[in-house]
Amino acid sequence: MTSSPLLWYLNRGTGVVLLVAFTATVVLGVLATGRSTTPLWPRFVTQGLHRSLAALSVFMLVAHVVSAVVDQYVDIRWWQAVVPFGGTYQPVWLALGAISLDLLAVIVATSLARARVPHRVWFLVHLSAYAAWASAVVHGLFIGTDSDKGWMVSITVGCVVAVGLAVVARIIAVLNGKRVNRKRHDRSGHDGPRRPFGPQSGVEREARHADRTPARAGSTGGAS
Amino acid sequence: MSPRETVLRVDWPECRARGLCAELFPEKIQVDEWGYPVVLGPVKASEERAAKDAVDACPRRALHLHTT
Amino acid sequence: MTSPMIHPMIRPPASVDVHSGPLLLSGIDRGPGLAAHRARLGALPEPGIQSLVTLLGDVGVRGRGGAGFPLSRKLQTVMRARGSRATLGGRRPYVVVNAAEGEPASAKDSALLDVAPHLVLDGAVVAARALGAREIHVVSSEDRPWVGAAVHRATNERDDHGIRWVQHEAASRFVSGQSRALIELMAGRPGLPVTSWAPEAVDGHRRRPTLLSNAESFAHLAAVVLWGLDGYAAHGTPEEPGTSLLTLTTPPASDGVFRGVHVVEVEHGDGAATVLDAQALGSPLLVGGFHGSWVHPRDVPALEWSNAVLGEVGARLGAGALLSLSDGSCAVSETARYTSYLAGESAGRCGPCRNGLPAMATEMEGLAFGADTRRRLRELAGLVTGRGACAHPDGTARLVGSLLTTLDDHVEAHLDGACACSGSGRAPRGERPAHTGTQHLAVQR
Repeated sequence: MTSSPLLWYLNRGTGVVLLVAFTATVVLGVLATGRSTTPLWPRFVTQGLHRSLAALSVFMLVAHVVSAVVDQYVDIRWWQAVVPFGGTYQPVWLALGAISLDLLAVIVATSLARARVPHRVWFLVHLSAYAAWASAVVHGLFIGTDSDKGWMVSITVGCVVAVGLAVVARIIAVLNGKRVNRKRHDRSGHDGPRRPFGPQSGVEREARHADRTPARAGSTGGAS
Repeated sequence: MSPRETVLRVDWPECRARGLCAELFPEKIQVDEWGYPVVLGPVKASEERAAKDAVDACPRRALHLHTT
Repeated sequence: MTSPMIHPMIRPPASVDVHSGPLLLSGIDRGPGLAAHRARLGALPEPGIQSLVTLLGDVGVRGRGGAGFPLSRKLQTVMRARGSRATLGGRRPYVVVNAAEGEPASAKDSALLDVAPHLVLDGAVVAARALGAREIHVVSSEDRPWVGAAVHRATNERDDHGIRWVQHEAASRFVSGQSRALIELMAGRPGLPVTSWAPEAVDGHRRRPTLLSNAESFAHLAAVVLWGLDGYAAHGTPEEPGTSLLTLTTPPASDGVFRGVHVVEVEHGDGAATVLDAQALGSPLLVGGFHGSWVHPRDVPALEWSNAVLGEVGARLGAGALLSLSDGSCAVSETARYTSYLAGESAGRCGPCRNGLPAMATEMEGLAFGADTRRRLRELAGLVTGRGACAHPDGTARLVGSLLTTLDDHVEAHLDGACACSGSGRAPRGERPAHTGTQHLAVQR
């Protein structure tokens, strides 16, 4: 009963769907901070889809892990889903899966508790999503039963290309933004060094500390 | 004694003008010419759902809902 | 296309004329030493918190840092946030003396700490004892290093048991004197404003209740305690007892340094003529420094140094910095210059300020050059007010707004070319640069 092909297919199926959902989540996350937005696709849609797909991925991951552990065809224990060593079945590739799950657990936990977590901490943890995703891809590539099948290879390549393109697009956008900002700052001048008003530009900041005459106490009230 | 009001407050140093708040609550949040939110008044009871969505959507957690 | 905007440097004066006064500046000819101070005023009383709050409330002492917040109410807030004696160990409050004086047109705090430091320090000690604070922090600016030196000398002279003095030096920026900026500096972070969800009196240094007030405010606190209610209230008006320190300046020279600066002490209700000469009485007067408001020449002679009278012409004492155009400078050119300076002094942390203030400076420059940018200026002033972590954009908007409202006749004259400055070379005429509608977007990534 706990060794039926059904569990095995469930595990492999959830693995493939999980890969695609996880990839889509990462791509949407990368594109979420882009400045361009159209009336047809407002920012909150990208954000909403990202969060929904992340939730879907979590469910898929749970199903994927449960089906692997319950199935007695291969010897995978519960704890091997979170501890990346001590496994017997394909220990290295299994470990990558465990690492991916561990990172995702922290990412999801900090995101759910976002109001209480400082933004900096949340951001750095969220960055590890790249590592979690890469780990999952390699895990699937080597532990997966269908890895040698054509359709599986296409899906995997497609996922890697999708994330790669999204990252490149983001880098280009950031570099463009920096270049534009630098040009604008030069024009407005307010990010540049401050210079004294008027023709005397040689007055240095230090000079005004040089000779300081003490405040003099005057004798009579009433100044002019 | 002033009546209790629910207001939206922006954490200005955190805000990066991403604009999600204005997308989700355009009745009370609009953007200025530089993309930063302009809060148009206190939040009515009927609008609290939309206001909470806007607060939740801010990627920098720069929008806050306060009841005075 | 407009040429790149250069934000001018404006710097505080290196030397000031300090004049004798009725209260705070009453003993300056005897020197700043502790012995002379004690000989003249006697031992320092130690009122309990309740009697101190009552005393300050009866006199109505207000803060002298610009906001004018009632000192007794601030003390009460700290007291309440401090809680009962049982929990004192964990929530022992702090006292912070703000002598950072980021406003270059103001010199009264640095002068006070130079000529009468023990009055300020007495006030801090009285407050600390009443609140159960054990640490008093004093923040001065690296712009005026003599202030830090004076405080150091004065604290070395003193022997207040149970009090630890800690000194800090803030960067020489306009916004360095903002209260949250001070708390940030004391925490070891950059001394710039951040969003404050609770006042420092509740959640301040190390998240504990903190009494943070201007140096002159502490001097008034000491004066009330040392002279007593009757002695203090003998000066000023029944509605506004006491005195205030004023800094009197004229526009800085082209190198940006204020010269010929005077610090005086006036009783509330004293007339303008007590400190302004004939020339100043007939010229526009900027009351409250660069975040203040212009007063029209026709209103200056009837001015009295009290918030009641100043309020009638839309002004407030603020930090007591007065800038008179008695040297014949043009109000429009000078406002353009100060707006540009203030834009350069933005901490750059809040989008509306970082974008709006340089835009206002550009439009003011256009106005000085003769382009009618008033509508755009009013629009920008409305856009930046109340949309930042501190009051820097609000103050800048107030300065520009008061020019357009109170000195509208001066602006009209300037635009018509009938302004007295057209020949002075400060605002070159003739070339009217095309006013561009594009905005300089500066968004942090």
